[in-house]
Amino acid sequence: MNVEITDLTRRFGRNQAVAGVSLQAGPGVFGLLGPNGAGKTTLLRMMATVIPPTTGRLRLLDRDPGAYGPRREVRRRLGYLPQNLGYYPGFTVAEFVEYFALLKEMPAALVPAAVATAIERVDLGGKARTKLRTLSGGMLRRVGIAQAIVNEPELLLLDEPTAGLDPEQRVHFRALLRELGQRATVVVSTHLVEDVGAACSQVALMDQGKVVFDGTPGELTARGSEQGTGDAPLERGYTAVLAAARA
Amino acid sequence: MTAAQAAPRPAVGRRGAGSAALGSGRLLRLELRHNAMLWLLPLAFALFWYNGYREIMALPPMWNLRAITLQNRLLFDLMVPATGAAAWMGSREGRRGITDLVAGTARPRWSRQLATWAATTAWAEVGCVACVAVVYLITARQASWGGPLWWPAAVSAAGVPALTAIGFAAGAWFPGRFVTPLVTVVVFFGLAFGTQAASGDHSYWQVSPLIAGAFDIGAAPGVASFYPYLPDLSIAQVMFAAGLVVAILGALGIPVARMRWLAAAVTAAGLAAAGTAVALAGTGRLDPHGMIVIPALHDASNDQPVRYTPDCSRTPIPVCVHPAYAGFLPAVTAAVGPELTEFAGLPGAPARIGQVAAVYRQDPGNGITVSGGRTGAAAFVLPDEVPGRLGTTGAEFAAQLDQGFGLQLMTDVILGGADRPAGTAPSQAQLAVISGSVRFPPSVESRDLEPLYGRLLPEPGSPASLAAKRFAALSPAARHTWLAAHLAALRAGRVTLAQLP
Repeated sequence: MNVEITDLTRRFGRNQAVAGVSLQAGPGVFGLLGPNGAGKTTLLRMMATVIPPTTGRLRLLDRDPGAYGPRREVRRRLGYLPQNLGYYPGFTVAEFVEYFALLKEMPAALVPAAVATAIERVDLGGKARTKLRTLSGGMLRRVGIAQAIVNEPELLLLDEPTAGLDPEQRVHFRALLRELGQRATVVVSTHLVEDVGAACSQVALMDQGKVVFDGTPGELTARGSEQGTGDAPLERGYTAVLAAARA
Repeated sequence: MTAAQAAPRPAVGRRGAGSAALGSGRLLRLELRHNAMLWLLPLAFALFWYNGYREIMALPPMWNLRAITLQNRLLFDLMVPATGAAAWMGSREGRRGITDLVAGTARPRWSRQLATWAATTAWAEVGCVACVAVVYLITARQASWGGPLWWPAAVSAAGVPALTAIGFAAGAWFPGRFVTPLVTVVVFFGLAFGTQAASGDHSYWQVSPLIAGAFDIGAAPGVASFYPYLPDLSIAQVMFAAGLVVAILGALGIPVARMRWLAAAVTAAGLAAAGTAVALAGTGRLDPHGMIVIPALHDASNDQPVRYTPDCSRTPIPVCVHPAYAGFLPAVTAAVGPELTEFAGLPGAPARIGQVAAVYRQDPGNGITVSGGRTGAAAFVLPDEVPGRLGTTGAEFAAQLDQGFGLQLMTDVILGGADRPAGTAPSQAQLAVISGSVRFPPSVESRDLEPLYGRLLPEPGSPASLAAKRFAALSPAARHTWLAAHLAALRAGRVTLAQLP
């Protein structure tokens, strides 16, 4: 398993953002669903080794990220797209992706080709020399994805990756996710259940810091066949599980 | 987005030292390309031109004057752009909301920050070196003697990383948009007040990289002309700046758990170096040649005078100056030319007059006394207030020469110089001859000269004053002829006012 989480918690002062999450994920696309404030972003930040857990056990790529050496090894094999992508406006697309390739300590000789490939994979090949300040929100999101995948990560963490993408780009992105998931573990946190339905082989639903559902998209759909609300079957499953968890 | 495209080979592998160095080099190149200091270089050059360059170039083309003034000005002019750019770059990750993104990368935060700081410092150093190069290249074409003084330039260059380290650390620790102007203002006033706090030669504040040599003397032609420039204080200043840089950069690494002890040790080492430098600066004392000696750092071989071949005038009594002062020789001979003509060949008159080094002495507080090391008609000290320094004009320089050099020559020849019995008051005839020979400006009064020479001017309207006017009305040749015949009697006090022509 690339991701092994056992009773993980994270507290910010009095606020318990993640309250005892246990998950396992191997290669494939893993969807993380949940309403605002459910703890998805905090969980992803812990998995990205940005913040340490308060309690619990976290193993990533068969390593303990609590120790410096293994954490650095994990980070070399990690791709992360945070919910709010900051960027340096004066950098070009290629420079920004190269910057992160270098921060991920990729072998320097491989960087130029990897950068070019990552940019092509998010359909920004024609914008490689364009300054980030001139790009639209959707294009910036794709730049964020490019920097996340530039090192061919074994663990890819994407927080709201499709926010700001147009429908055509979202379709393309889902295809990219499926392709990446063939080799790596891709964890996608999203509000958009249709993304999960189209691209994920596993899905977990979080609410109030806890995982209230862990299964396949089909199983989640099945949970909404009788009492859920929504336009799509998966949405009905989503609302049904949430309603049951809160009941 | 293209899912079907062939993915590259897995990019994670063993990184050799060469690959790591290449990666760091590429990172530095990116940081250099996108560094705020690059865009602030024109501002740095403009500030230096306005505040430093114009003042330096207005000085006479002497290496010591220009190098010392360069150290006084350059770091101060670079301070705003260098500190500001560093603070801006240091706060970049926080301002741009990119901290989460970079926190999840493998390269340690310390290493990442060092790359950004190094790029900022590199551009600031480019500005520093360019300013030094311009001043030194122009001076090399103008100076009559000597070569560049590297220690003042080295201190400025060492001060640049200290400025950028302070700014960068402030930006990294408090990543708001207001930290840049705030830290810039604080450092600006800190540097400015730091120099003002220096008092006397034993001041710890001498460690400020803006202070070149003895703060109360500043850039004086007499400093580092006859004797080599003493690097004692410069060494302490470089040590202080380097210690500050090491301490600050070490402190940046302290929050990193694994590096905490290493970073703390580096910080402690830096603080120790900086503290030692401050302590050393406090032991400095003014040496007779106008420079600061720090006993623990002093190399006695630097106390040997510089070898030089003097430049001499073709006047009846040749006047020889240190070659660094060659540009002033025409002004010197023009100022005292009549006296030289008048006294040439007289018994007791020197066959040649040579410039000697001034002697500096620290008085209590900020006072400095400057005097001639050797007395007598054969030696003279050129005043530190040469034309172009501190707004001194050529006329003021000539007046100083008349009052100093001319009067010294006159009194030595007419009163007997060192052979004159101590406490002997000049006769009225001697006063009249001296007053009639030296071309004092009208503003000079007896009380101006008394502290140095005693009472040498007759009372206005007195018989001696009238005799002086009579004597002054003679041509230099006529005065020379009379003096040749009567100098021995005049010295012996046997000439009366009535016997004066």
